[in-house]
Amino acid sequence: MAVAPRVLEAVVPAESGRLGGVRAWWEQEHVFGYGLILPALLLLVCLVAYPFGMAIYLSLSDSWVGSPGHFVGFANYRELLGNEVFRQTVRNSFVFTGLALTLKTVLGTWLALLLARNLRFKRLIRGAVLLPFVIPTALSTLGWWWMFDSLYGVVSWTAIRLRLIDPPGPNWLGESVYAMAAVITVNVWRGLPFFAITVLAGLVAVPPEYYEAAEVDGASAWGRFRYVTLPLLRPVLAVVILFSTIFTFSDFNIVYVLTRGGPINTTHLFATLAYQVGLTGGNLGQGAAISLFLFPMLGAVVFLQLRYIRRE
Amino acid sequence: MSPRLDRRQFLKSTAGATAGLAWLASHRAPAFAQKRELTFLSWNHFVPASDDELRRQAAVFGKDAGVAVRVDTIAHLQLPARYAAEAQAQSGHDLIFSGGATPFLYEQMLADVGDIVDEFGKKFGGWYPFAAETAQTKSGWRAIPWFWVSFPGTYNQAHFRAAGLEPPKTWAELLRDGKILKKMGHPVGIAISHCNDAHTTYWSVAWSYGAKVVEADSKTPAINSDRTAQVIEWYKELYRDAMEPEVLSWDDAGNNRFILSGKGSWIHNPISPYNYALANKLPIADDLNHHRSLAGPAGIHSAPPILGLGIWKFSKNQQVAREFVRFLFRKDNFADWVVASNGFNHPPLRSLADHPIWSQNPKLAMLPGEAEFAHPRGWPGRPTDAVQRIDINFVMADMLAKAVNGMAVKRAMEWAQDQIAAALKGQLRAG
Repeated sequence: MAVAPRVLEAVVPAESGRLGGVRAWWEQEHVFGYGLILPALLLLVCLVAYPFGMAIYLSLSDSWVGSPGHFVGFANYRELLGNEVFRQTVRNSFVFTGLALTLKTVLGTWLALLLARNLRFKRLIRGAVLLPFVIPTALSTLGWWWMFDSLYGVVSWTAIRLRLIDPPGPNWLGESVYAMAAVITVNVWRGLPFFAITVLAGLVAVPPEYYEAAEVDGASAWGRFRYVTLPLLRPVLAVVILFSTIFTFSDFNIVYVLTRGGPINTTHLFATLAYQVGLTGGNLGQGAAISLFLFPMLGAVVFLQLRYIRRE
Repeated sequence: MSPRLDRRQFLKSTAGATAGLAWLASHRAPAFAQKRELTFLSWNHFVPASDDELRRQAAVFGKDAGVAVRVDTIAHLQLPARYAAEAQAQSGHDLIFSGGATPFLYEQMLADVGDIVDEFGKKFGGWYPFAAETAQTKSGWRAIPWFWVSFPGTYNQAHFRAAGLEPPKTWAELLRDGKILKKMGHPVGIAISHCNDAHTTYWSVAWSYGAKVVEADSKTPAINSDRTAQVIEWYKELYRDAMEPEVLSWDDAGNNRFILSGKGSWIHNPISPYNYALANKLPIADDLNHHRSLAGPAGIHSAPPILGLGIWKFSKNQQVAREFVRFLFRKDNFADWVVASNGFNHPPLRSLADHPIWSQNPKLAMLPGEAEFAHPRGWPGRPTDAVQRIDINFVMADMLAKAVNGMAVKRAMEWAQDQIAAALKGQLRAG
């Protein structure tokens, strides 16, 4: 150990003058610390803060693609609130997010409980469960789009063969209720692995002694789940639901590929409508306003959830 | 010990590197002395062989004219944003593919090409009527109509024969025949969904019934009318008695699948299903045939895609761009390009349309004549950005879907009128 100082001296020769001064300044804790977070901060400013500020500015202007636009205050927001398609989109987003999230929470927890058991090929099954999450959404949704085809799709064909429905079967992507059911189904299919795997991680962390104690006390399987598993899973579930709310509210791919917001705009979500109005339609101001409507809503969700998690 | 550079070593090595770079530079011509380059921005053609032929011709022209011609093709949905960026930056390509509202949106930024339009008109038997409607602004011609894509009726003649029917000539006959064909298990199909075909058909039917979407001033909504009510009633009856609910969920390929599957008896579409059946040797190719656009009480009208060529005013190669356009419109070159597209590209000039690729096949012979009925969207007004927005927001498709799903016709029209008024609000200045 006594060699160490000499080795250091050899590698870092003594510095004198200005360079030494800069080095001393840099090595102060408060300078060095900020220096380390500076790259991340720059990235955040360039890739998050600037586009966000730009979006706010655009939403308050009458900008069109190719023309700069003028400040118009809240005119875009007022117009949107008066527009039936937008109001329909708000309703769609709540129905879509509410139902998809409930299904993902229930089914995801259920799947996690199944995966937690000691099965044969456990690793293989756990890997396979992740597949929907791994495949690019646009591709897997194309597969679903084909399956939901009312004439040639495998969904209707199977249901008819199993005598669950009468031919010709429902028009999956052409009728409002069925189309919403279809986009929710695909969203649940895609989001389930995220829920299952995260909840599984929470389950594995539950000490087995609690279950043993509950069993000794004569708790049934439901009782063990209700009074041991669920309370201990609550923090994990809160985080998963928080993330999933954000992802589900701002979903784009699934609706864009399956229905493009149709039939009669009954599956439009904020992101798809904003894209249609702002980018393909060229009305940048209104497109930005639509996408910013998401912000206060998600902000409120995040605030409530984080407060809950902190309390837990 | 890590090697450290002292000042002298640093100077030595940088001087060496500079000398090396200078030597390299002296052996390569500087950029400004290189051959001139003409750049052309176009779409990714739906028949890729057409773009291959375009590039071949560009290379031949480049060799003859001593310029390098670069043809950049991108997805057609990305073109509007690209135009906006180039116009904003006042730099980019020299020549652009123009569609829909482009000549009117960029009236101030595109060069006047009236001289070329006159020259081609005289040389090739005159332009079809839609040429002026799509490219002539108040201040002059801002694009040269390049080609259009025909939108005839495509029918399965075996089904029509089995029902003892001739192909229809009017939209009313289509409704009458469709009812019979549906009872035989072979319905007809027009998309009423969020896809482009839905609107192509709507514009065509509406014009044929004398209905309008916007007034000729391109500023006043005009959909709430008795004529439109008539069109919606026609759609409702067709939907109920001659079509299947699947038309509510079609994308642009939905009707192709419908007729190629053998189930459908009639669709409104370009000739792509027939071409697909031929290319893949499907037996149904024998049964597929085409007929002229259908008539209504106000005559025959059609809303096919009509595309053009525009030259940016900021381009430093305007003269070369004009020469290149002249080269593309040489009779032999235009014919080769049409053949490469397998008849998909239709010339907007009468004598160029007289080509064996159509006239030798009785199933395609009527296609060039379809040009007589073609108008750009927004007609009798101009194809402005607001018209583009009406199309992109699928206003008419939604109006029809509401009506066939039970909403009162009057209410559906009022809803559409509101949406159109919103699209027209804040409209860019139209030419």
